[in-house]
Amino acid sequence: MTPILHIQNLHKRFGKVHAVNDLSLEVLPGQVFGILGPNGSGKTTTLGIILDVIKKKSGEYRWFGEPPSAESRKRIGAILETPVFYPYLSAVDNLKIVALIKGVDESRIEKVLETVDLHERKLDAFKTYSLGMKQRLAIASALLADPEVMILDEPTNGLDPQGIAEIRQLIIQIAEQGKTIILASHLLDEVQKVCSHFAVLKKGKLIYSGSVDEALTGTDTVEVAADDMNRLEEAVKQFTHTQSVRPEKQFLRVRLTDNRGSADLNQFLIEQGIVVSHLSQRTNSLEQQFLHILAADQSSATSGNHSFTDQKTTSHA
Amino acid sequence: MPRLIAIEWIKLKSYRPFWILMILYFVVLGLVLSGVMLFFEYVASRGAEFNGLDPSMIPFYDFADIWQNMTYLATFLKIFLGFIVVISITNEYSYKTIRQHVIDGLTRWELLAGKLSIILVITIVNTLFVLVLGLILGLIYSPVQGLDVMFENAGFLLAYFLDVFAFLTFALLVGMLIKRTGFAIVLLALYTLFLEPIAALILSEVYSQYTFTQYFPIRAINNLISVPFGKYVFQEVQDYIAFSDIALVAVYVGLFIFLSFRLLKARDISG
Repeated sequence: MTPILHIQNLHKRFGKVHAVNDLSLEVLPGQVFGILGPNGSGKTTTLGIILDVIKKKSGEYRWFGEPPSAESRKRIGAILETPVFYPYLSAVDNLKIVALIKGVDESRIEKVLETVDLHERKLDAFKTYSLGMKQRLAIASALLADPEVMILDEPTNGLDPQGIAEIRQLIIQIAEQGKTIILASHLLDEVQKVCSHFAVLKKGKLIYSGSVDEALTGTDTVEVAADDMNRLEEAVKQFTHTQSVRPEKQFLRVRLTDNRGSADLNQFLIEQGIVVSHLSQRTNSLEQQFLHILAADQSSATSGNHSFTDQKTTSHA
Repeated sequence: MPRLIAIEWIKLKSYRPFWILMILYFVVLGLVLSGVMLFFEYVASRGAEFNGLDPSMIPFYDFADIWQNMTYLATFLKIFLGFIVVISITNEYSYKTIRQHVIDGLTRWELLAGKLSIILVITIVNTLFVLVLGLILGLIYSPVQGLDVMFENAGFLLAYFLDVFAFLTFALLVGMLIKRTGFAIVLLALYTLFLEPIAALILSEVYSQYTFTQYFPIRAINNLISVPFGKYVFQEVQDYIAFSDIALVAVYVGLFIFLSFRLLKARDISG
């Protein structure tokens, strides 16, 4: 399968700052790919480079397996940072300009404005729009050419909770139509809710790349307590699917493997004649994983590359 | 090319400041160009004279003479068109739309070609305005009439066209270089009206044996149409358009466009 986007050893410097440092990435068709990282980690710079508005220092990137060109950019719908439109022009006029650039029929304008629910305000000047409406118009603009891939940079930045929910719903809706989406965000929760794959950037370096499901499986822990904690601990250690056990104040924190959950553990303990007084399963969020990734990168900065699973065991052992 | 003009047209057609400036410019240009005779008559009525010549006797609008007189006078106002061009490019930077255009799929060359085509349209409209006004004023004032004399020396309109076009490509370059509307306008005005003329004056005093100040860009552009009025007091004036002047300005136009393109190519496109 030809990757939608292929980035190879990309570098960019702004003076002393190494904004993008040896970045290699691949985005495959149909993925909703999150680029995650704190502010200043090089997300927007990377997107700027692959959209040909920022000059790279070295490295390569390809869209649709081809060297980058204006023609390939026409097949991408993208917004960088804030929505960019002529403030004095209406939504329709702004989209007419985009349609002319991309060589798209003007009839698409009505359709995309309906998709993002801006139809009623389509003749009002852009400057009269709320931030949420501006963001929706940006998505409409990105959708205009019915592109194979969409790039969204912090699409929910600055929105109120309702606006955030609307935009996310819209992104999920678009992803369901089979479009590839590249989403830069510093909000983990957003990536977790929307993305299928993600990469983590820190100071311009790629420190993790993989699928969201993969990152989250095996991260569930079970809290378990019984009257006789010593006996419980021994029994739990004998359970074949136990990966690690860590005593905490009121209970044991058990990490299970092979997709086993609290029910499996409970079943086993009953067979061992132990009745538990507390049992609960905690699903880790990407946020915790993300912090682990960042922490692991920090502590072992000298040890070079490490995989996600590496640090998982080290941080929990 | 029509696609690029269509894009620019959408941007301009609803942009009120553009129309206000344009209308103001043409009103002022029209008043200045058509008011010369009234002005001369007023000056004459106050008893002023030019080297013993009654100003109201100057055949400013006489056919054949009219084109050099009109176009020479009209070039003084081209700086306002320069401001309009500066605004049209610096707006793209302040709205960040120039970046979005590239993201959406315009090439750097198309960005530049869009602006150049708008400059071309403005220059054509401007030249036609002077042509039509010249014909009207000539028909009113000129003692000699007839198709043969009407368009004699109309080549000055082409020189005027090149003059304005070259200046506007210079304004575009300044706008692209500075990116900020206010600074760019101030710099354009400062350079055009003060810096270069004063520098040329000083340098031509210091190095009076050389004529290199003739090759300064604004000077070169202004040299296309020579001051015509001396001939009315029996001085010798250049009443033709020199090929070397045209060639020099053409080189400048090429240089301005090339530099603008280099700027777009070499820099990160940001707001």
